[in-house]
Amino acid sequence: MKSKWSIFLSILLLILLVACGGNNTETTNAPAENATTAETSDTPAEEPVEEPAAEPVAIEMFYPVAVDAPIAAILQGYVDDFEAANPDVTVELVFSGGYTDVKTAIQTTVEGGGTPPALGVMLATDIYDLANAGIIMPLDDYAANADFMDDFFPAFLANSYFDGQLWSIPFQRSNVLLYYNNDMFAAAGLEAPTSWQELADDAAALTIRDGDTVTQWGMQWSSDWPYWLFQPLAMGMGQNIIGDSDTEVFFDNPAVIEAVQDYIDLSAVYEAMPAGVQASWGSSSADFASGQTAMIMHSSGSLAGILEQANFEVGVMALPGKESGTYATVVGGGNLYIMDGVPQEQKDAAWRFIEFLSNADLAADFSIQTGYIATRESAYETDAMKEYIASVPQAGQAREAMQYAGAEFSIQNLGEVRGIFHDYLQKAFNGEMSAADAMAAAQTESDAALEAFR
Amino acid sequence: MSNLYRAVGKRRFDSLPYLLIFPTFLFVAVFTAWPTLLAFYQSFFQQRLNIVRFREPTFIGLENYTKLFADDRFLQVLRNTFYYIVGTVPLSILLAFLFALLVNRKIRGVGWARLGFFYPTILPLVSAATIWMFFFTPDYGLLNTALRAIGYTGADNWLGNPNLALISIMIVNVWKNAGFYMIFYLAGLQSLPTDVFEAAAIDGATGWQMLWRIAFPLLRRTTLFVTTIAFIGAFREVDHIFVLTQGGPSRASTVLLYHLWQVRFENQDVGQASAITMVLIVLLLFFTVTNFLLSERGGEADV
Repeated sequence: MKSKWSIFLSILLLILLVACGGNNTETTNAPAENATTAETSDTPAEEPVEEPAAEPVAIEMFYPVAVDAPIAAILQGYVDDFEAANPDVTVELVFSGGYTDVKTAIQTTVEGGGTPPALGVMLATDIYDLANAGIIMPLDDYAANADFMDDFFPAFLANSYFDGQLWSIPFQRSNVLLYYNNDMFAAAGLEAPTSWQELADDAAALTIRDGDTVTQWGMQWSSDWPYWLFQPLAMGMGQNIIGDSDTEVFFDNPAVIEAVQDYIDLSAVYEAMPAGVQASWGSSSADFASGQTAMIMHSSGSLAGILEQANFEVGVMALPGKESGTYATVVGGGNLYIMDGVPQEQKDAAWRFIEFLSNADLAADFSIQTGYIATRESAYETDAMKEYIASVPQAGQAREAMQYAGAEFSIQNLGEVRGIFHDYLQKAFNGEMSAADAMAAAQTESDAALEAFR
Repeated sequence: MSNLYRAVGKRRFDSLPYLLIFPTFLFVAVFTAWPTLLAFYQSFFQQRLNIVRFREPTFIGLENYTKLFADDRFLQVLRNTFYYIVGTVPLSILLAFLFALLVNRKIRGVGWARLGFFYPTILPLVSAATIWMFFFTPDYGLLNTALRAIGYTGADNWLGNPNLALISIMIVNVWKNAGFYMIFYLAGLQSLPTDVFEAAAIDGATGWQMLWRIAFPLLRRTTLFVTTIAFIGAFREVDHIFVLTQGGPSRASTVLLYHLWQVRFENQDVGQASAITMVLIVLLLFFTVTNFLLSERGGEADV
């Protein structure tokens, strides 16, 4: 009989354990959910609850870490400052992985009928998916009273509008840069390229071979997730892969086809770059910093890491285009979104935090601490930023590149269309199809995938 | 104890067994059975979360399935998955068995060998993939350096070459799992009765015969178990693809679960994703059941 009782006891314990586990997870969500139920019952504007305005509004912000910088600590510092100045709001930061993880977490929460965080930092290019799914809300009413909207770099706002409405505010933004090893250029008697032809010739001149082995590449250009680094090249040849319409792509435009061929020719004709698709996002920046590659295409987000390792003079610039003296780059990175599924009070509080983060001094500080490009032009007028650029001129060069910046590839049905584009772009890079055939096929299939959105 | 059993047996309705399986039952019901049924149901509907007018599900019968099997990309993904499984499951099981034989001997340094073989198992797949990323690097990567040392002069762009990308993914999978499966064979080997081998030795059996005629058949249940988890693992483990190739170049290394993730979370196509889920479940069920039946029938014939 004793053993029977012990079995029952252990089952009881187990059930208790399971129950406690459930409770625990609930309590972690409690702040947001309590707030939700409290707010929704408040909305009919009945009699105020016993302690009016005593509870601060609690909001959550989901954010990713996408660069090599202590983002969590930096953001927490901003939250502390914000809460000190705004005692009626508390902000809880929730680290959620990478950009994709943040989007997936918020998406599945909403689909599962849960309450999303009030704020999320997600890719600027996710705007259509998020708006169509009803996850985010337009911010025009808030922005109408804000004094900083005109001060953002126009390219950073290029991925914020849809259907005549504003859906996101630029936050952690980057651009594509051509990094070049100034010491190598100087040693070879070369200057920074001012046209694509010059760049190709320089890359060839700076490629060094020892017999069959390459000891130094003129150029490395990652293409395992190719659209982003490819866009400046297409723009430089005269046509970005997207335009003003959210359902139109320009893959089979002659300028885009020319750009595909230019990429291929860097290895096929100039023998200045490894052939085929290069899965080298991580290794190319390391190779550049250690002096094994004269030039790379990379994110401005890698600048700090490269400068830390490189023992030579690093130059950064927008990619030279076809005509001498033309340049091109595209923007990237994440924006701030407010979720539609949270109570009005949380939305208001979330906007106040956005306003706080959009302050020019803070934008400058965030840029200095992380290596992201400051979102506002006036951030570059602050003393802190001027001082920083005096000591790190490359940060100023990255800002110079902004004048040539275009919109990042963002379109309705982005996941599917981008998949199609990547497939055919890589087929062309790997020599499985000609540039013209690949881009024609990409155009046909993308048009079909966009049909339902027109 | 026997009193307890008798007492339990006499009861008309005994709640104890049900109580015991209740937690498991609950978990399986909520996290396995329900999602499966839901996916089955949703696979007959068109639902695109990123298209406003298709956000609410519309019944379309079998269209998700007909579209799926008319899609060249999906057929390519099925082919990739087939190669991936054929290339990883038998090889990692064979290696696991050989590793187990090796470390089952009483030789010096066997502890280190065990640790070495098992070590990949304890690394998270994403970290392991990050390390392999640098092994695969063209020019100076460890893999290419090693291959060149033994005279290899072929293609070296492992992750960017469409003919090598899937193989790279397979190499990481085998490297990661062989040591894990080794543990099961090692446990199996150590629990084998020694008298059988003594008898065989008296009958003059060679070591080779003892290995393949006695040890391996006696480990049949281990093999069944390992085959099943290896097969499921081959479908399930795609983390390294996110790090190494993102399914590319041109989908050359996209396998079923990775494709499912893309369709569901990048294309936001709930209907298609549900249909793919059903294909995945049917494949898994088919293999697990046949594997079990085949191996059980073989067992009876032995007896």
